[in-house]
Amino acid sequence: MALINKVLPGYVATLWMQADPDPVALTDTQLGTWTGQVADIVGTSAGGTGTEGYLVPVEAIPAFGADDAFAAYSIAGARTGAKITTQNQVTSLTITAAWNPANAAQLQVRDDGYNGTTIRTYVIAVYDGTDTVAYAFNGRVGGLQWDMSPSAEGKFIFTIHPTGGNSYGWSNNT
Amino acid sequence: MSTQQNPVVYAQAIQFQLNDILSPVPVYANFNRNWAKQTEFVTWQLRNVHQPVYTGQQQNNKGIDTPVFQMSVFNTSLEGAFNISNTILQSLHGYSGMFGDPDDNGFFIAKADVVWLYNTYDNEIGMQQIIMDCTLYIPT
Repeated sequence: MALINKVLPGYVATLWMQADPDPVALTDTQLGTWTGQVADIVGTSAGGTGTEGYLVPVEAIPAFGADDAFAAYSIAGARTGAKITTQNQVTSLTITAAWNPANAAQLQVRDDGYNGTTIRTYVIAVYDGTDTVAYAFNGRVGGLQWDMSPSAEGKFIFTIHPTGGNSYGWSNNT
Repeated sequence: MSTQQNPVVYAQAIQFQLNDILSPVPVYANFNRNWAKQTEFVTWQLRNVHQPVYTGQQQNNKGIDTPVFQMSVFNTSLEGAFNISNTILQSLHGYSGMFGDPDDNGFFIAKADVVWLYNTYDNEIGMQQIIMDCTLYIPT
């Protein structure tokens, strides 16, 4: 299958997580491997096989990728300085979900946050009805919060902090 | 880069999808000339077809299309009108997937977002009416 060649609504993105309560996170190579790895976490509604994953019912997928960072140099008397790009951490994702206390994915995130050391593979899948592009990364859950403001539905807010400098990978169905 | 979508395809897909959801309730574009003989039917109108355009020179530098179609539910009974509207809500609101005829110009939508605007009564034709909007988010 060809890579998706369209401009996509933000709505096409979905977040998936390994369902195993005691997961074995994918290796750096596997994070960039669709068949048998990332595809198993992504559900069929987003073009995967869905054998090992939960859909995380988020309100919106936050910006993902890598944090911006550079070293700045300047020299007294010189007209310009320089910015030298440095490879920085994978971006943390602060997720807001409408809270359903019985939702299996949210319960697992709650358990992971309580545990504090569980490293799990998460996948952001972009799907156009035929093909899927996936961004997979490994992370730990932190910052669990429940916001029961009366102006809206109850929110479950948590942050996924990626582990490692290269623990992410891109893949697509083939 | 994105291609300009053809509204005729949208119209065909809306007609197919509403008919698929509501059958045997008749569905018409714009107007039903046979209103006096039918106790229930739905009409729809397409509007707000627009893909945002970005910086110049390159015509295909556009965003996604988010057209809106309005549905007018007609029924001689208010309860019947509410039930037809509920069928639309249950099937269409939040729907993601194939929209229209999969074998003839149907296309994938990332999301359908339905707003129930209001209900009213048309004394001229003696029918209850419920007006709803549906926005489609279409990869282009």
